[in-house]
Amino acid sequence: MLLPEFQAVILAAGKGSRMPELTAGKPKCLLPIGGKPLVWYPLHKLQQSGFNDVILIVAENQKTEIQNAIDRTNLNIKVDYFSIGDEELGTADSLRLIHEKIKSDVLVLSCDLVTDVNLSEVVNLFRQHDASICALLFHPPSAEQVVIPGPKAKHKPERDLIGVDTQTNRLVFLASASDFESNVNLPKSLVRKHTNITMYSNLIDSHVYVLKKWVIKYLLHEKSISTIKGELLPHIIRKQLSKPKVKEHNLSVVNTKDSNDIFHYAGESESDSLCVRNASTYNDHYGDVKPCYNNDIIRCFAYIAKPDTYGIRVNTLPAYCLVNAKIIEKWDKIADGKELIRMDSKADVKSTQVDDKCIIWESSRLHEKTSYKNSIIGANSEVQNFSRVFNSILMSNVVIKEKVALENCIVCDGVVIESGSQIKNCLIGSRHVIPKQSVHSHEVLTVTDRLMEF
Amino acid sequence: MSHKSKEVIKKDVVQAVVVAENFRNDFAPITNDTPLALLPLLNVALIDYTLEFLSLGGIEETFLFCCSNVDLIKEHLEKSIKNSAGWSLTMKVNIIISESCRSFGDCLRDLDAKGLIRSDFVLLESGTIGNIKLLPILKKHNEICKVDKGAAMTIILQEAGVGQAGRCLHEELLLVSTLNNRVLFHQKLGRSNTRKIELPLEILVDNSAVNILHNLKDTHIAICSASVLPLFSDNFDFQTRDDFVRGLLINEEILGSTIYWHLIKGSQYGASITNWRMYQAVSREILHRWTYPLVPDMGISTRENNYTHLKNNIYRNKNVHLAKNSNLVEDVIIGSGSSISDGSQISKSIIGENIKIGKNVIIEDSFIFSNTSIGDNCTIKHSVIGSDCILKPGNKVTCGSILGKGVQLPKDKFVEDSLVQSKKPEGACAADKLGEKAYKLKHTDDDEESDSEEEGLVKQLSRLHIADQEIEESDDESVASSKSDEELSYTTSPVPDDTNLFLTEVIDSLARGFEDKLQCDNLILEINSSRYAYNVTVKEVNFNVVKAILMLPFQLSTGQPYLHSLRPLLVYFSPILKNYIRNTNAMTDCLQAVQEVASTNNELNECVVTVLNWFYNKDHLSEEMILSWFSGIDKNTRFYARVQPFINWLQEAEEASSSEDE
Repeated sequence: MLLPEFQAVILAAGKGSRMPELTAGKPKCLLPIGGKPLVWYPLHKLQQSGFNDVILIVAENQKTEIQNAIDRTNLNIKVDYFSIGDEELGTADSLRLIHEKIKSDVLVLSCDLVTDVNLSEVVNLFRQHDASICALLFHPPSAEQVVIPGPKAKHKPERDLIGVDTQTNRLVFLASASDFESNVNLPKSLVRKHTNITMYSNLIDSHVYVLKKWVIKYLLHEKSISTIKGELLPHIIRKQLSKPKVKEHNLSVVNTKDSNDIFHYAGESESDSLCVRNASTYNDHYGDVKPCYNNDIIRCFAYIAKPDTYGIRVNTLPAYCLVNAKIIEKWDKIADGKELIRMDSKADVKSTQVDDKCIIWESSRLHEKTSYKNSIIGANSEVQNFSRVFNSILMSNVVIKEKVALENCIVCDGVVIESGSQIKNCLIGSRHVIPKQSVHSHEVLTVTDRLMEF
Repeated sequence: MSHKSKEVIKKDVVQAVVVAENFRNDFAPITNDTPLALLPLLNVALIDYTLEFLSLGGIEETFLFCCSNVDLIKEHLEKSIKNSAGWSLTMKVNIIISESCRSFGDCLRDLDAKGLIRSDFVLLESGTIGNIKLLPILKKHNEICKVDKGAAMTIILQEAGVGQAGRCLHEELLLVSTLNNRVLFHQKLGRSNTRKIELPLEILVDNSAVNILHNLKDTHIAICSASVLPLFSDNFDFQTRDDFVRGLLINEEILGSTIYWHLIKGSQYGASITNWRMYQAVSREILHRWTYPLVPDMGISTRENNYTHLKNNIYRNKNVHLAKNSNLVEDVIIGSGSSISDGSQISKSIIGENIKIGKNVIIEDSFIFSNTSIGDNCTIKHSVIGSDCILKPGNKVTCGSILGKGVQLPKDKFVEDSLVQSKKPEGACAADKLGEKAYKLKHTDDDEESDSEEEGLVKQLSRLHIADQEIEESDDESVASSKSDEELSYTTSPVPDDTNLFLTEVIDSLARGFEDKLQCDNLILEINSSRYAYNVTVKEVNFNVVKAILMLPFQLSTGQPYLHSLRPLLVYFSPILKNYIRNTNAMTDCLQAVQEVASTNNELNECVVTVLNWFYNKDHLSEEMILSWFSGIDKNTRFYARVQPFINWLQEAEEASSSEDE
């Protein structure tokens, strides 16, 4: 069988530790976004980009649940589930575990990506420069004010410092802004080599990476690296500045094989592209007399998506709220031709007051004389008479009794809200029961000991 | 006030300020009697390029600051005006004489006091030439000022890759700016040897994106708002323009001023001659016509174009006598009235006016000023020969030598890497005398304060560029190959590992415990909680507790000898030792701790036997463990020798006791 040029891997074993309120009772990758679970979006993106199969890394105890949910979404892409144990594993650790399945270069996605970007542009940049790593970066979304359910708190986004060579799109610097106290130290050799760097502090790392096969092999050897973004990428980006040690001819062959040098893995002597490059007059940069790519063997590139691209990582509560507020507007671009099902045919909707910004999932029962605006009603949920649900997200198996007013809330799985309650701007944890006539606003309502597990 | 609006509409005269002095001595001995402004550059005075550039750039009035040799400059300008030089037709030049000024900053403060400047102006440092269209940049600066009231200056920069000749190595510029060209960080790296560049985090985080640029050279041309002069007056510590830029960036909030930069594009060119190396680079660039229309064959400051431009960049005056067998290779300009005899070969050199060059002379990469005669069989390489010199036959002048005005070298001298002047300098010794009118000057004449390697490099960089790739390349490559991970990392110091943190924590606990006479039980509790906090193994706990106690005397620094302060500590912490040194493994850890502290601290090493003896007597250590530990120590260390007597004593005691048993 012909090897595919790229293999796709989706990392879906994350615990969603940045939004524990939502992920306490549900795998992060199954959080509802519009009418689909979160993981559907990267899967669909891959299918749309022409991938026939994908390796999906999931946590052992969530595998069945995820598998069932994906089977229900009618995707054609063949999903190869790979389950990993429950212990806290980093993203690079996950990759290391599947190394036996990796036969070619890899496209790594996170399960929390919702975007309308064209993946082939990233891949093309990778191909064009025969890169080691290519990362996809987004411009920050235009600042939108969404009232986040739960207590009023400042959500401070994590910021990365990302340095990109302005001429060549080489990714030359990556670090988290919180790693530094007052000064950022740049090696002088970096600015001498890349004399025009644009340093971004507002770009969003999409966690879409195209990796050369050798990177996985190197990962296998370098056991101390546990995350892709936090450790692997900065490490390899830094290594761009080093050159392989000059080989001493006296050394025995066995000796060089044993060397743990990254260049032992990254060697490109056998590749055709090197010959082509040596024969060509192409140079990626001007301003000095150095050869193309400065003769670097390791080359990392950044593809910065066009400013009008929509791309968001659903890994925090604000991001989750934002994406749900936007999903109908962006649906056409994201799903590219796939029809948006506003009301599942298996839903039992008796209400006449459902506005066109609502999405009703299968088997939900909306009784008469109920009102809905701008909301998502998850599977098997029930809303009884004289209740209204505005700007809210109901996950699955939620029961809302009579005369309940719900505004700007996120209601997790299996919640029961007894009659007469008025709840505004709240986040209700899974399987919580709200007693009758409760009035809440700006709170997280949850069985507290459930959260303690994390 | 009624006619105020009329005055505003009336177009301001576009003004420029040129500071003709550089307040340094880079061009000695040539500038001993010629002002820098009149330094010949391709046989035309430097100031002519500057003025011509300004008038072509659209300037209508120029203030020229002179501090020394004013009469010569005045005379030169008057002559130019009389000959109706190009600039004199469109531009008015005012000479400002202030012999008291000692720096660039002083000049601007003086100018502020005089109150001659009312609006935006162009500011040039000494020796600046170019062909930049200044009016569009002035307009752009004006627009920036409308948006940003604090905009004080727009510095004009030109692209120049690493290693380009026209990029002054003193002034390797690192610039961080916003995407709309506001300067956030401006550092000239040239003099520093550091391998790291420290950028304040806030400039990266406060802006969504910044440019970090290292591919620029400073043209030493700037557009200034009227606020620049008062800023110089208010901050009397600003000596140079770079001081000004730095001061404004550091005190951005206090001074409320901002700086922008402008990149000149296309065929525009700007450069400043700050030292011999730049002189050499700029000469070459003029020969290569980067400064067009300021090139010899177009006539600079004259209406006649005396030079013909031939292939291989050879510029020949009409009035030149070349012998049949003489050879001009490339990049050569020969001034009027010069003659070159048979068999001479000239390449990459500037030959002034009225030069007599004898037979079989070789001149490469050199600059010969006017009215000089060079005898037969002379060789001149990488050197500058001042005006009115006489070189007798057979001389060899090489390696960045500079001959001042009127030097006369007798026959067959060899001058290498020296400054030579015609007058006898003060304190000259006999060895410095080359001839009646030729005395060597010491290179490090003025800077006696430091002879460090860096200083030497600085000196070297300001002199003529002799051989390629000696400094730049080597430093580039060595950095690339000898780079360790640590050097490449972005954070300042490596993150201290947990074990080290644990050790400092334990030392703190014990020090406090001893001073406040806390219960040892409580201290054990404290140590155990630190242990869990830092997740260290039992082995490391034992090791570090003992180490901490042994290190404590240094921490408390009672002033007493080590042993005196250690003894009460050991007695006091005895319960703690008992708690941790429970089994044979713990004893090994304890002994290793003693060994480590002793090998790094001489104080303990000297009394290690006493300490070990104490541990032994208090039953913290067993005899077998000490012996087995000792057998593992390297016999060649001083530590081994120190412990040896104790071991001997132990073994003797053992034999004695065992024999007693029998």
